[in-house]
Amino acid sequence: MPTKVNEIIDSAAAIAKGLGVTLKEFLSPTITEDYPDSPPRFQERYRGVHVLERDENGLEKCVACFLCAAACPSNCIYIEAAENTDTIRISGGERYAKVYNIDYNRCIFCGYCVEACPTDAITHGHGFEIASYDTVTLIWRKEQLLAQPREPYPEATVTEVG
Amino acid sequence: MEELVKLTIDGKQVEVPAGTLVINAAKAAGIEIPAFCYYDGLALQAACRMCLVEVKKAPKLLTACTLVAQPGMVVHTETPAVVEARKAMLEFLLTNHPLDCPVCDKGGECELQDMVFRYGAGESRFLEQKVHTEEKQFSPLVYFDAPRCILCYRCVRICDEGLGVKALGVVHRGVYTEIGPNRGDHLECDECGMCIDICPVGALTSGRYRYKTRPWEMQHVGTICAHCSNGCKTTLGVRNDAIIRANNRDRSGLNGEFLCVKGRFGFDFVEHPERLRTPLVREGGELRPVNWMQAVALVARRFEEIRARGGRIGVIGSNRTTNEENYCLQKFARQVLGTNHIDHHRTGDVVALVDALAGRTGALATTGDLYRTRAALVIAADLAQQQPFLAFQLRANWRHHGLRLYAVTPGPVREEQYAVRSVRCRPGEELAAVEGLAAELKGEPELVILFGDAVKGELVHRLVAFGDSLGIPVKYVCLVDYANSRGAADMGLLPDLLPGYRPVAEAGLERGMALPEILAAPDLDALWVVGANPLKDAPLASTAAFVVVQDLFLTETARRADVVLPAASAYEKTGTFTNVCGEIQQLRKAIDFPGAKTDLEIFGLLARAMRAEIGPANPEKVFEEIRATVPGYNVALPVLAAGGAAPSSPQNGRVPVEWRPELIRSARDTLFRSGTLGRYSQALNSVTEAPGELYRG
Repeated sequence: MPTKVNEIIDSAAAIAKGLGVTLKEFLSPTITEDYPDSPPRFQERYRGVHVLERDENGLEKCVACFLCAAACPSNCIYIEAAENTDTIRISGGERYAKVYNIDYNRCIFCGYCVEACPTDAITHGHGFEIASYDTVTLIWRKEQLLAQPREPYPEATVTEVG
Repeated sequence: MEELVKLTIDGKQVEVPAGTLVINAAKAAGIEIPAFCYYDGLALQAACRMCLVEVKKAPKLLTACTLVAQPGMVVHTETPAVVEARKAMLEFLLTNHPLDCPVCDKGGECELQDMVFRYGAGESRFLEQKVHTEEKQFSPLVYFDAPRCILCYRCVRICDEGLGVKALGVVHRGVYTEIGPNRGDHLECDECGMCIDICPVGALTSGRYRYKTRPWEMQHVGTICAHCSNGCKTTLGVRNDAIIRANNRDRSGLNGEFLCVKGRFGFDFVEHPERLRTPLVREGGELRPVNWMQAVALVARRFEEIRARGGRIGVIGSNRTTNEENYCLQKFARQVLGTNHIDHHRTGDVVALVDALAGRTGALATTGDLYRTRAALVIAADLAQQQPFLAFQLRANWRHHGLRLYAVTPGPVREEQYAVRSVRCRPGEELAAVEGLAAELKGEPELVILFGDAVKGELVHRLVAFGDSLGIPVKYVCLVDYANSRGAADMGLLPDLLPGYRPVAEAGLERGMALPEILAAPDLDALWVVGANPLKDAPLASTAAFVVVQDLFLTETARRADVVLPAASAYEKTGTFTNVCGEIQQLRKAIDFPGAKTDLEIFGLLARAMRAEIGPANPEKVFEEIRATVPGYNVALPVLAAGGAAPSSPQNGRVPVEWRPELIRSARDTLFRSGTLGRYSQALNSVTEAPGELYRG
């Protein structure tokens, strides 16, 4: 009967090993998200919905150089440029983006735009809840993408580029 | 036979004509030697030092752009010394160059960017603060950003040598050296914008294009300029159905990269807020908008009614519509309306010239001939103002081949700067003055004669007889005003001639009324004006006439109309134009203008409403018909399709011109005026030089 005894011992050992893993995982910190009951946590470099940043003066960093649109493999960025004037100063450079749209129907969140940006104006935020039954609402405009002004807007100042 | 020189470049045996520069010899062998200041067709400068090469037995590196190829020369373009020198040169050029490529208009098509990318060091050792100066506005169309300038002097040379304007120069010294305009703080010049285009960096930028978009974001449509008769190819940068800029950097077309202020900036009339977007019909004394169906039906009904009772219908065609449209219009008038009262505003007596040259071939000069001819005679025309590209060609000919130019004009003209003889004469005495030059002209090997509207009718015959008496080959250019003035005559918008200058008697018709007679006829029943503004200068005698106008704007003529149909501009359609020298070129559609239809489409709609057959309203099909039926227009289609210029060659018997219309008059537009279109171009009117003046020198 030694084979029978061996069999029982082996099975018990296997169960103990399995339950050991369970016990170990039970005691280790949880990685399961409670989303949507609690907000998800992201890695710092998660590529979510884009944010158009502002500089320390509250001006837009984007100078409408179109490099993001050129780098975009899915051709989802649309820009119209305009010139800053002394009275209306939107960005730090001579030019700013009058229209800046990202079509999230097409965006594949590859991050090339962020890499291409020479002024660090476009970044990936952590937003992701953009699913919609109406694709029209997936074309985000500059107003939706723009970072909120940090402080009350300071007096617009002229900054030089280059 | 040209002498050839053999030399070795990078181990390659190269054979080039004697006198060739090493930079060009290398180019012929497919070896690129980078350069900024060297520019084809301009004087040598050797300012940028980018083209340094190593030559065997030479103690130092030499500039390939000033080095003439010698027999047995051994040149190396990629040795470590050369590579090092290029890197150092670029590092120097970038000492004070702001690296603001993301906002600079030139970014993406900048020669400095390309060079640094290819030959540059990638890193700079300079840590010092860059010298910065504020951007300057030289004129509403030209901006200058000094820190970006690399002092290649291209702009200075093109303005001085190419145009003869000399509006740009170099001021200050050392690191503060910059380009300065001729009036201290602003420019007074032709505003042609050649300096902007030729600038290898973003130092000179266009007031119209500034910060609007980037070069790779536009579609580039090569079409023919809608303004004067020279037929320059202009490449329109189009984005979102709007024309953003115009230039011709690819040097396609007969004009190479030349464009004047109209070609480069004068495209903005298409977006003028007063452009007509809907047909208008007069109701209760006022023009009210209606839809196309209603307007076309009304015109068709009235035309049918007037035709049925044998009324007199006058048709006035355009200097600006395509050959296809002109052909269709005269066909419509003669076959459907049964009228021969058809004319256009004649700005030069092309008919008399074709008549005087009956039976000859090759007697009409092309724009290429102007660059190659050994001698030229300009009669009664301010070319620099009225025919800018022809003036540029003649000047380039003088610079490169030593053209001998004779000018007989009523006032000072720019060509006098280099003319071997210039004669001032009172208006009307030009031909007598020309005949006084006979002895000198006989000594020339060949001659091209360019004449303006002062020489017309019998005088043209007298001029051609004079040309024959010289005993040398003579070619002629009859100067006309607008983009398709020549085509309007060629396509038979004439009361006495069918397309190709065939007499109307061939079609069993009698001579109709000419333009002044149409306007003066008190019993005219209908007037159909396509793309013209005859009532600007003369009233319409017949108060009861039913007037139909097809135009872009509500002109003086359109205000008198009973029906106004909004037409598409030259940038909004395809077709062909014939330039002042008889060269046929193809238009390409750049944009759509909502509401307007091309004149050809309108003819098609009218024909359908009148249940008449004039063939398909399709430019290609109509041009097929023109090629088959109009003498001189059987040109090679591939030439046109490839964007080239095909010379038409009218071969006629004598045109039986027993009657000579009195009214042949140039509109005397300057560089900054362009008939009706010029009035609606904001760019042309924004410059301080506008409206300009003829014969100011």
